[in-house]
Parts: sequence; C-alpha cells; structure tokens
Amino acid sequence: MNAGTLEIRNLQVIYGGAIEAVRDVSLKVEPKQIVALLGANGAGKSTLLKALSGVLDDEEGTIESGAITFDGHDLAGLKPVDIVHRGIVQVPEGRRLFPSLTVDENLDMGGFAATPAQLTERRTVVFELFPRLAERRKQIAGYLSGGEQQMVAIGRALMGGPRVLALDEPSLGLAPIVIDLIYDIVRRLNRDLGVTVLLVEQNAQRALGLASYGYIIERGRIVLDGPSARLVGNADVREFYLGVTGADRKSLREVKHYKRRKRWLS
Amino acid sequence: MQYLVDQIVSGIAVGAIYGLIAMGLALIYKSTGLANFAQGEMAMLIAYIAWTLAGLMPGHPWLVVGGALVASVVLGLAIERLIMRPMLGEPVFATVMVTIALAVILRAGAMLIWDPYPHALDIGIGRGVVMLGATGLREAQLAAILTLMAALAGFWAFFRYSRIGKAMRAVAADSRAAQLMGISAARIHAIAWTASAVIAGLAGIFFALLYDVSPNLYHVGLKSFPATILGGLDSVLGSGFGGVLIGVAENLAGGYLASSIKEIAGFIVIIAVLMIRPFGLFGERDIERV
Repeated sequence: MNAGTLEIRNLQVIYGGAIEAVRDVSLKVEPKQIVALLGANGAGKSTLLKALSGVLDDEEGTIESGAITFDGHDLAGLKPVDIVHRGIVQVPEGRRLFPSLTVDENLDMGGFAATPAQLTERRTVVFELFPRLAERRKQIAGYLSGGEQQMVAIGRALMGGPRVLALDEPSLGLAPIVIDLIYDIVRRLNRDLGVTVLLVEQNAQRALGLASYGYIIERGRIVLDGPSARLVGNADVREFYLGVTGADRKSLREVKHYKRRKRWLS
Repeated sequence: MQYLVDQIVSGIAVGAIYGLIAMGLALIYKSTGLANFAQGEMAMLIAYIAWTLAGLMPGHPWLVVGGALVASVVLGLAIERLIMRPMLGEPVFATVMVTIALAVILRAGAMLIWDPYPHALDIGIGRGVVMLGATGLREAQLAAILTLMAALAGFWAFFRYSRIGKAMRAVAADSRAAQLMGISAARIHAIAWTASAVIAGLAGIFFALLYDVSPNLYHVGLKSFPATILGGLDSVLGSGFGGVLIGVAENLAGGYLASSIKEIAGFIVIIAVLMIRPFGLFGERDIERV
C-alpha cells in the first residue's frame, strides 16, 4: 500500500445502539487524489467524516464493525487529537469557526499543535492562497461574509499541516461565484501543495468537475462508484444527481422503476 | 464624607473577594458551560486547609499560603478528573446537580473533619492597618484588592496572548470544532478547574484572614453568583468588576439604609441591571449574522 492512502473498509456506524447510519461502506483515497463523496441529506456523508475524525461519541455513535486505516495504521478508537496529528484534518460542515475569535486567532487554533516556526510558515501560505484574509486578520470571524468564513475554515485546517483534507460541503450556502473561488483554491491546494482531498458534497456537478473519482452514498450505503468521467456519463447519475433530463422526458413509472431497482441493489 | 469613603473602600475590599470567586465561576462557565455551585465551598475548604497548616507551621505565613495554594491545585485537578470528566457529554442539568452535590459534601465534610465553630486564621500577617490618606485598611483587605487587580490583568493577557488562553475561548465558542482542530477539551477543562480553584482558594484565605474560618464561609460563594451574573456569566474580567460593584452596593446599603438590607442589596442590583442588559454588563452577545 502506498504511504498516505486513506482507506475505509466495510464501515458500519450505529447511533445510540439502534440506528444504523452507515452500513458496509468501503472507499479509498489515494495520495494526492481528489475523491468526491456525493449524496443527499441524511445519506450518511457527515457520519462517515465524523467516524474518520473520531468525533462520533458526542452523538453516541459507535463504529460497530469495519476499519479506517491511514498509512496502514488503524484510526478507529484514536482520539480526535491524535487523528489530527497524523495529518487528517476536517473542514466541518457549516464551517464551525470560532465566531468570537479574530481571523488570526482562528488560524492559530488550527495550528494548535504546530511549532511557532511552522505557524509562521503556514500562515504565509494561507495568506497567499486567501489574500482577503490577510486584510481581515484582525477582524472578528463571526462578522465575516459566508465566503470569507469558508476561507477561514479552510485556512484554519491548513494551519494543521494536513496530508488529507476532508471538506464537508464547502459550497453550502455560498453564491456560485464564491463557490468557484473556493473550488479553485481546493484545486490549487491539491496541485501545488500535494494535499489529498476527500470532498463531501451534495453539489454533484461541481464536485465531479473537480474530483478524479467519486462515490455515491444513499441511505448509508455506497450505491455507485467510479472515475468521475464515468459517473458523469451514467444515466442515473445524470438524472438524479446532475439534474439532466434527456431529450425525452421520462414518465413517472420509469422513475419508480429506478427507485425500486435501487432498493433491491442496496 | 469620610464615612462614605470608608464604606466604599471596605466595599471594594470585600467586593474583591467576591470578584475573585466570581472570576472562577465565569472561568468554569466559559470553558465548560457549567455553573459550578461548589465555588464557595472550594474557597471554604482551602481556608480550612490554610488554618490547619497555620497550626502546624506557626510563624511561616508564606509556607502556609503556598501550601494552601498547592492544595487548591490538587483540589481543582481532582474535581475535574474524578467528578466532572465522567460527566462529560451528560446533560448540563445533571452535571450542575453534581456540582450541588459536591457543594453539600464539601460543607458536611468540613464539619466532619474539623468542627462547626468559627476559628480565627492567624498567620501573623494581614492584620496590620495601612493608612491610605484618612482611610484605614487592613493588610489583607489591601492584598485582596491587589490580587483582584493582578488576576484581572493576568487573565486579560492570558486570554489575549497565550496559546492555552485562546484555546479556552475556542473551546467555549465551539468545543466540537476545537476537537477537530486537535485541541483536547478535557485538558482545557482541567486547566480551567485548576485556575478556578486557585483563585477561589486565595479568596477563601483573604476572607478567613478578615473574618474567620467556619463552614459558613461558603456564603461568599452565594454572593459571588450575583457578581458573575452582573458582570456576565461568560466574562471572566466582567465578573471580577461585578464582584466589586456588588461589594460596594452592599456596603453602602448596609451603611446608609439598614444592615438587614445589606444581604439582599446585591441581588436587587442584579435584578435592576439584568432588566436592562440580560447578558450582564460585560457578557458577550451571541454573534448572529442574518
């Protein structure tokens, strides 16, 4: 196995001992790859990321079976702190900045474990990527615009020196032009800095445009995976995730047929 | 006129003690989201330990104070590790009830270990009178005021410049996000409990020097609740000022109205203030963007 491969094998997550949120999910993120994980609300995307970062227990979730490995080491059961130290950093859904802290202080917190020299170096990188944050570094993060907050959230994660960056719906609630900017940054992070990216999205069109490989999760299970180009060409994906209806409109009966088939598959 | 000045100055002195305890309350609330009902009892316990140490080491006031502070570090760490950490993730109400239980246990424990009678804490210092102009102050009163000022300045710098202080504000703002950044909330909580026990211990020693050591010392904890509500439950510095305001209001009410009003004066002040500023004088409003 390559160093820096993140692999999830047959993961099952159960909340409160009763509700199965993720079942038998396997996925693999190769070093320096961008992998998209797509799915609707409640499909289990965020649960998967929580399991990855070791923060399931807040909602009484447990990894019932399966494994999460990075570099060949098992991550399940590690404390969130140790997972961050191994280089897996998450940008949580809804950004989750520290609203009452300034931009600079938020960045400091991202690099909580870093040495002062590393902090200075990484801060320079962050400000190069997001010049706007350099202008606003003394401002209270809670008063920034949504796009700027997303920049702070990504910058904060970069301060931890990630090898794998897990982004949970970075486009959520942002204007299309801002999403373009954020996606462009993610592309640069991957290309110029060699950061591996696991991109969790509802916005399939955007995500598949950036990622080289994609997984589609529905009701806690991976229902489809493949290289982005192939997923984009898949008729079901086109219809249900990309919103492309062919020349002829389908009748409701065919939609029902698709849904029935999906249930059988899963 | 001199009477007024005397009342205000001694109000500031007792208010400094309330303020120190209130800062401890706010520190715990800010980093763990809990109101610790055992704050006054922690002050009481440390005062008792100081009294015992004073009996063992007569003539060594600084050893007594140092030993009591070491005891308060141990107390803070022990409460966090043994009682509060297992409660992590439980409902806030249940955890607050645990602090009330702790308060009762500490109070009863002090009566069991020592006795229910008041004792004078005599360590050989703190009793002398210092003249500030025409106003006389006891050394311990002056020391309480100076300690509060030092604590205010120290915490201000701590929250603004130190890595741990900033992490404490981050945990207060969003503990899940802090975890995701690799900040251990448990460690931050341990630091908050320890610091809080130390300043409560100092307050307890000052109070014991000025009045006496008795199980009723926990009453200062009750007085510091209005102080921290007044200053803002999440504002450590505001709580320190709140203590001074409550102390002065109490003393003026006691001096000019009736001594029976003194006990409730602080609570009347907070009702009036909270009607105008429900989050306290220095509390943070939630940042809401629309």
